[in-house]
Amino acid sequence: MDIFSDLLLGAATAFQPVNLLYGFIGCLLGTAIGVLPGLGPTATIAMLLPITFGLQPESALIMLAGIFYGAQYGGSTTAILINLPGESSSVVTAIDGYQMARNGRAGAALATAALGSFFAGTVATLLLAVAAPPLAAVALKFGPAEYFSLMILGLVASVALASGSLLKAFAMIIFGLLLGSVGTDVESGMQRYIFGIPELYDGLNFVAVSMGIFGICEILRNLENEHERSVGVKKVTGLMLTRDDFRRIRGPVLRGTALGSFLGVLPGGGAMLSSFAAYALEKRISPNRAEFGKGAIEAVAAPESANNAGAQTSFIPMLTLGIPGNPVMALMVGAMIIQGITPGPNVISEEPELFWGMIVSMWSGNLMLVVLNLPLIGLWVRMLAIPYHLLFPAIIGFCCIGAYSINNSAFDIFIMAGFSAVGFALSKLHFEPAPLLLGFILGPMLEENLRRAMLISQGDPTIFVRSPLSLLLLGVAVVVLGLVLAPSISRKRDEAFTE
Amino acid sequence: MLKIRNGRDFVGGAAMIAVSLMFIGFGRELDIGNSFQMGPGYFPVMLSLLLIGIGVLIMVQSLVVAVRDEPDAPANWKAYILVILAPVLFGLALSHLGLAPTMFLMVGAVSCASRYAGWRHSIALALFMAISSVVLFTRLLSLPVSAFGPWIPFLGN
Repeated sequence: MDIFSDLLLGAATAFQPVNLLYGFIGCLLGTAIGVLPGLGPTATIAMLLPITFGLQPESALIMLAGIFYGAQYGGSTTAILINLPGESSSVVTAIDGYQMARNGRAGAALATAALGSFFAGTVATLLLAVAAPPLAAVALKFGPAEYFSLMILGLVASVALASGSLLKAFAMIIFGLLLGSVGTDVESGMQRYIFGIPELYDGLNFVAVSMGIFGICEILRNLENEHERSVGVKKVTGLMLTRDDFRRIRGPVLRGTALGSFLGVLPGGGAMLSSFAAYALEKRISPNRAEFGKGAIEAVAAPESANNAGAQTSFIPMLTLGIPGNPVMALMVGAMIIQGITPGPNVISEEPELFWGMIVSMWSGNLMLVVLNLPLIGLWVRMLAIPYHLLFPAIIGFCCIGAYSINNSAFDIFIMAGFSAVGFALSKLHFEPAPLLLGFILGPMLEENLRRAMLISQGDPTIFVRSPLSLLLLGVAVVVLGLVLAPSISRKRDEAFTE
Repeated sequence: MLKIRNGRDFVGGAAMIAVSLMFIGFGRELDIGNSFQMGPGYFPVMLSLLLIGIGVLIMVQSLVVAVRDEPDAPANWKAYILVILAPVLFGLALSHLGLAPTMFLMVGAVSCASRYAGWRHSIALALFMAISSVVLFTRLLSLPVSAFGPWIPFLGN
């Protein structure tokens, strides 16, 4: 099997009319929610998960992936035009992108963002196609001890790269792991924390939990600082880039793509971190750094390439190891489980159509986004005129009915409402909800592998350091932790997140 | 005399300890086992103990380290209560009233959480949501809910 026949197989799946259609819907929805501030990809994917139950697994995952990377495109549009980043990953784009728009170069900024994103998306997709199979082959050799160590590494790294206090992030992971232990214990069949409620036999439903923690909770936060939005956008002209522009963005796009591809693979990484890092890098090494902050085209090209590359490569750990690196990937893992697919290294060999179809669809989706975004820019800008007080009741309505449709029972609506209160209280206490969701998803797998490993070693915990692979993974986790605790780095980390 | 320098973290740490104690308390029937053959209670209890440790650390930190804290946005209790309780009422009423009236009432009620909502807009939006959710979910996606429930005379079934 060489990569070309694999990609051909993927193309056969991705270019089926129905999958093209769902890919298109995903990109369209993704762009829309990217444009709308206050509605992010995590909340949207959580909200739409119940609707995907009835679809083919390929169509469902292609659509959900489209929402995720479509949001990166849409977020940059509003960042550039009205200095209002629709997504956290386009916060840095707003700095110079908006200045470019004020100088009458909005078209050039938008074109730079779109072309940079497309280039980065293409490279990152190829990288995914090349890197995923060997990685999965290594992971197939993993025993319970190695899996346990891998998940520990994933959790530690996601803490290291999250913002805010480390202790609190660890607390959230453990809280999430505890919530994951609700339900029937796989090994003994004992019921844990069920309180006699039959709906809890399979555990807390993660769609309902994430809709509460990300969807509804976000609305509560937005309603606290509600502003009337008034949008005045000039007509966008001049989408063509000059020869000089191309010369200036070549380097930043390449560097942004490389940096984003690398950071996206790391657990907890992904789009936001990539764009911040790429901006910081360009600010240091660009020959035009004096222009930064006043409308430098490099400062748009680099973060936009990086966030798209990072969004794309963050699929690698999810597809090859079954380990989600960020909340969106956690939802994708959930979507696979709902479709009856066990995420992990077996996906490539057991579901080749799904795996390669998804990869090819990411490339075709990126192409659709370029075509979709540049001519339709006027439509997206007009969407901004939808006031938030009409938007959020509709979101709550769809969340309610989505939660109901998980099991056709009102119980999941109550779970959703309960967790919106929990999530809101936690955010008031400055606890981040993202590590909680990762812990919640990984909890059952972590416990199962821990118990199996300890059973194999007859209760000897040194099994985790006797296997060289497991030792290596734990060693990396310790190094990552050490790096974050080192004072100089933690100061840098604070700067990066407050900037 | 100890002084709480970071009230938010003090409460946060205490909340984590409370959560762990709840998991230990409700799980006291579960067999813990030993590290060789772990019972169903092993994992949750160990995690809870770990979380108590972290909670204590967060509380200790809140006594030692002072922070410059930006003030919170003013609490908007009306919005909290509406947005959290409206879905609960939606769940309770759905099987009795049916999708259309429940959605109408829920969207109408939840709109009041915004200080910019006007009643004309809210009613129009509620109607729109009621009709489109019936079309989308009972007709196109054939969810097992009826548009009108048994509590609605004439229309309900």
